Amino acid sequence: MDHFSPVIVAFCCHYCAYTAADMAGSMRLSYPSNVKIIRVPCSGKVSALHIMRAFQKGADGVYVAGCLEGDCHFKDGNIKAAKRVAYVKKMLDEIGIGGERVEVIRMSAGMGERFAQSAKDFTERIRKLGPNPVRAVLNQRESAGA
Amino acid sequence: MNNKVLVIGGGIGGIKTALDLAEAKRDVVLIDKAASIGGLMTLLDRTFPTNNCDLCTVSPHLSESGRELHIELMTLTQLTRVEGEAGNFKVTLKTDPRFIDPAKCTACGECHKKFPECVRFTPGLDHRAPTCMRYPQATPYAYSIDMTRCRNIEALVEVCKDGAIIPDDIAKVVELDVSAIVLTPGAALFHPGILENFGYGKYPNVVTSLEYERILSASGPSLGALVRPSDGKPPKKIAWIQCVGSRNTNQVAAPYCSSACCMFALKEAIVTKERFQNDIETVIFYMDIRTSGKDYELYYQRAKNEYGIEFVRSRPHSVIPVGETGNLSITYSTDQSDMPLKDVFDMVVLSTGFQVPADLVELAGRLGIQLNEHNFVETRSFDPVSTSREGVFVAGLFQSPKDIPETMVQASAAACLASNYQEAIKEADKTDDEYPFDEEEELPSERDVSGEEARIGVFVCDCGYNIGGVIDVDRIVEYAGNLPGVAVSEMVGHGCSREALAHIREVIVEKKLNRVVMGACSPRTHETLFQDTIQRAGLNKYLLEMANIRDQDTWVHSDTPEESIDKAKDLIRMAVSSAALSRPLTDHLLPMNKDILVVGGGVAGMSAALNLADKGYKVYLVERSGTLGGLARHIRRTLEGDDVQRHMSDLIQRTINHENVQVLLNAVIVDHSGMPGMFRTGIQSGPRLAYRQINHGATILATGALANRPREYLLDEHEAVMTQLDLDGFIEDHPDRVKAWHNVVMIQCVGSRCPENPNCSRICCQSAVKNALRIRKLNPEANIFVLYRDMRTYGFQEDYYRRAREQGVVFVRYGLEDRPSVEAGEDQQVEVSFYEPVLGRKITCLADCLALSTGFVSDDESTEDLSAIFHLNRTVDGYFLEDHVKLRPVDLSVPGFFVAGTAHSPKDISESIAQAQAAAGRAQTLLAKDVINLGASVARVDGEKCAACLICVRICPFDVPFINADGYSEIDPAKCHGCGLCAAECPAHAIQLMQYEDQQIMAKVDSLLEGIL
Repeated sequence: MDHFSPVIVAFCCHYCAYTAADMAGSMRLSYPSNVKIIRVPCSGKVSALHIMRAFQKGADGVYVAGCLEGDCHFKDGNIKAAKRVAYVKKMLDEIGIGGERVEVIRMSAGMGERFAQSAKDFTERIRKLGPNPVRAVLNQRESAGA
Repeated sequence: MNNKVLVIGGGIGGIKTALDLAEAKRDVVLIDKAASIGGLMTLLDRTFPTNNCDLCTVSPHLSESGRELHIELMTLTQLTRVEGEAGNFKVTLKTDPRFIDPAKCTACGECHKKFPECVRFTPGLDHRAPTCMRYPQATPYAYSIDMTRCRNIEALVEVCKDGAIIPDDIAKVVELDVSAIVLTPGAALFHPGILENFGYGKYPNVVTSLEYERILSASGPSLGALVRPSDGKPPKKIAWIQCVGSRNTNQVAAPYCSSACCMFALKEAIVTKERFQNDIETVIFYMDIRTSGKDYELYYQRAKNEYGIEFVRSRPHSVIPVGETGNLSITYSTDQSDMPLKDVFDMVVLSTGFQVPADLVELAGRLGIQLNEHNFVETRSFDPVSTSREGVFVAGLFQSPKDIPETMVQASAAACLASNYQEAIKEADKTDDEYPFDEEEELPSERDVSGEEARIGVFVCDCGYNIGGVIDVDRIVEYAGNLPGVAVSEMVGHGCSREALAHIREVIVEKKLNRVVMGACSPRTHETLFQDTIQRAGLNKYLLEMANIRDQDTWVHSDTPEESIDKAKDLIRMAVSSAALSRPLTDHLLPMNKDILVVGGGVAGMSAALNLADKGYKVYLVERSGTLGGLARHIRRTLEGDDVQRHMSDLIQRTINHENVQVLLNAVIVDHSGMPGMFRTGIQSGPRLAYRQINHGATILATGALANRPREYLLDEHEAVMTQLDLDGFIEDHPDRVKAWHNVVMIQCVGSRCPENPNCSRICCQSAVKNALRIRKLNPEANIFVLYRDMRTYGFQEDYYRRAREQGVVFVRYGLEDRPSVEAGEDQQVEVSFYEPVLGRKITCLADCLALSTGFVSDDESTEDLSAIFHLNRTVDGYFLEDHVKLRPVDLSVPGFFVAGTAHSPKDISESIAQAQAAAGRAQTLLAKDVINLGASVARVDGEKCAACLICVRICPFDVPFINADGYSEIDPAKCHGCGLCAAECPAHAIQLMQYEDQQIMAKVDSLLEGIL
């Protein structure tokens, strides 16, 4: 896989990260198109199931982007999101997908650059990790079956 | 009838005034001489005391103000003439040509890329030119052109694909009828180049605080990297010099205090430390640290103790370059050293203050309003936002130097008073030529789409060059047409234009569509517009989904168009999958009760009550004690010499006699329920504690603070010892005894800025100066000593402080390690001993009067009770905590609650009155609506699935869910904020957040990852 192009799901809270992504747009800061954003009202809205479903369906990486600490529109939703992601990390480690494929990223609405930079960094990280093992297993099965 | 208010100046104050007026259903014309609104605040990187990113906090307000139907925004516009009188002004406005039609400009940036020379540069360090859009979130979202610099006009016009450039644009003059005028033009910053000793303009590494702010800012010249201007290297040691151009009696500078610079410098130093920790040294040279705002003292203490910022009490003499290094040497002296000291820094930041620029003096002349000796607008103590001309109001910096929260308070106060000259507009009367649809037209009844198979219409906007110039929109349209459930897929040119919207509406009706996907820009900016469109086609507005293929695709992947196309397809596919599952939702609407409950019968409570009662609202004024007046009943004079008691008796008489005010004395609040627009509060009042319930739509808390009376320095033990408040009355009642005094000593910060009461009480320095000047007038021979830690005579109070010094009042600084001591002496005197730092020795003085500046403490007991009953937040020291310390200083965190006066924080009478007017104004904005729309994005519980495990009850940040009588969790849609935390945690998936249901999110995930495995 020389030109592995990962698929990355970014859950972005409406108030900060999604706004920062728009801001990256108005500043014309390019970042890898691998990152696809799903808007949520608060990063705390993202359940463990949403993240696991993405990996089950073949996503190579997932990140949950919320507000800076103390800036959450809903008091501490971003902190609860971080706890949940920590829990998902452990689970991913246990089942062999690897906890490093999921991350929490914090930014304020004005940080267009941070949004672009973290999209770059995360994509690079996942590129190094290679494809989601689920993909490889299924591919093997397919070729074994054939 | 003439129903407009003219607001002059589109900084944060003007925006707030305009928004408040618009919310209260008044028409506003907001003018600004700049090309976009935003003023000074949008130039800041972060704001104290939360160190939040500034643009994130202000930009929603800016775009709100661009969107608001009642506000007409005129940039590049100035007032040239005004005639008539309050209620009936005729104003002449002149608008300079922008050479760009903001309605057509999409801010794509092509014109700038090709013709950067025609761009207007912003002043100072901001050389990123792009934009005569001054900052990325500018409103209006459009460029402007400096035609005088353009050499090839034809080519410039050619470059704009949208035809937005108007080369022959000319200045326009209009005459308008307005009923009131609000001045919010801000102020200018002192230009330190005039002061030769600091080398500003000569040495590149000497910058102003605003320039430093731009250097720190992510949208600044170095994109947020802290580098010094001379060589682009990161500095290791930075000095701030305070009071540059302020508190200065030389001719070019200002004698008053600019009020905001201490916190400004603290913030910059803290943000610098936060980023670079031990890699950087920060030193602040100051005269007095004036952190007298709410919780500001805590911020100062954090700066000192946690961040290790060094404070040097000195006014530096000069800044001198060190060879060719770019470094700067500061020469200064302190109380402790006889010899001048020297220190070398990589950068020097000058904390420049505010000044009124010449064009504002001219503006005041055109308006015929009086200015004070410093060219700020003259206002009265008991009417702080009214100018000398009836119907003309002022808020913010042009009234006096101040920070953002105070500006916001005055802005709401000015809006409240200005709205008295018009009737509120009935929604049905409102039409707007700019608006794509006829507002009078009633919405068609909603089509029932239940049971129908999804018939989704996908409309892909080309947004001119913005989307269409990067990707082939036709390919997206073709792709979308083959997605499941899609009945129509079309390209629309400029989807938000009037023609496109009308077309979309027709297609929805014609093709019987029941879902709509807009492949366009961000829902943040355009969702409401498209929702409105589909509503007009008979669809529920929640059947719309947006795919953000501009801001999050073509704008960021223009260099890789194929990837951009693939991503656009993904985004559209995801939106289609989620739209298919969307369902019609109903906004929660509630009828509005327009009565108001005001708690607290002091000067703030009465002022708020009368303002609302005069507007025709019914007000219940609840006072715990048996009399109206509160703490202000004990104050005789203001610093300016106004008679407080005369004002108070007038206020009390008007309150008691007003037909719309019902006063309840000896009354306590015992229970409370309901929601904004329909609160119900239980009150016990009168000698028998009779219980009654009051129904009201809004609540204003004006419960005040207490005069502090700590057991210190023989207070209440010795006759010669009294508080400043006692002394205020004593001077008035016993002038003969005052005349006989030989020595008077005052001690500042007694019971404030100490562990028991860590904040500054704000009013004590002015009280001490006030009483010292009054004693001096009665008794020119007496020795008056004021023992202080920092003199905090902010704004124009500095004039009185200076006068007191000139009249021989002796101000002696003491430190916490060396506090004065007091013992009882003979002949009804007390013996006060204190260290004199200039003399370097201890002095003992036999005082006939020892006045203790004891300030305020919060009324902890009552704020605790009330916060429990009303579910409000409090600060650590027991004051009510507002919703947003910067931008919403009057609104409390529970909607429908507002705060005024010293229940919010220590403040003087004038500031309390301004906040009371602001609270009345804010309440008015809520009550102007006949119904309350709470939106539809709320959590809904499926009782069948709920196991009553209490997880939702525990996780909700707002304590909304509870287990009801049927044994399952219930969430009141009127209280739900819509964060979805409960939905994410519910183990039984019994809770769904409307608009963001699990199946919708899963559908997006699934469709994005379709075909990967």
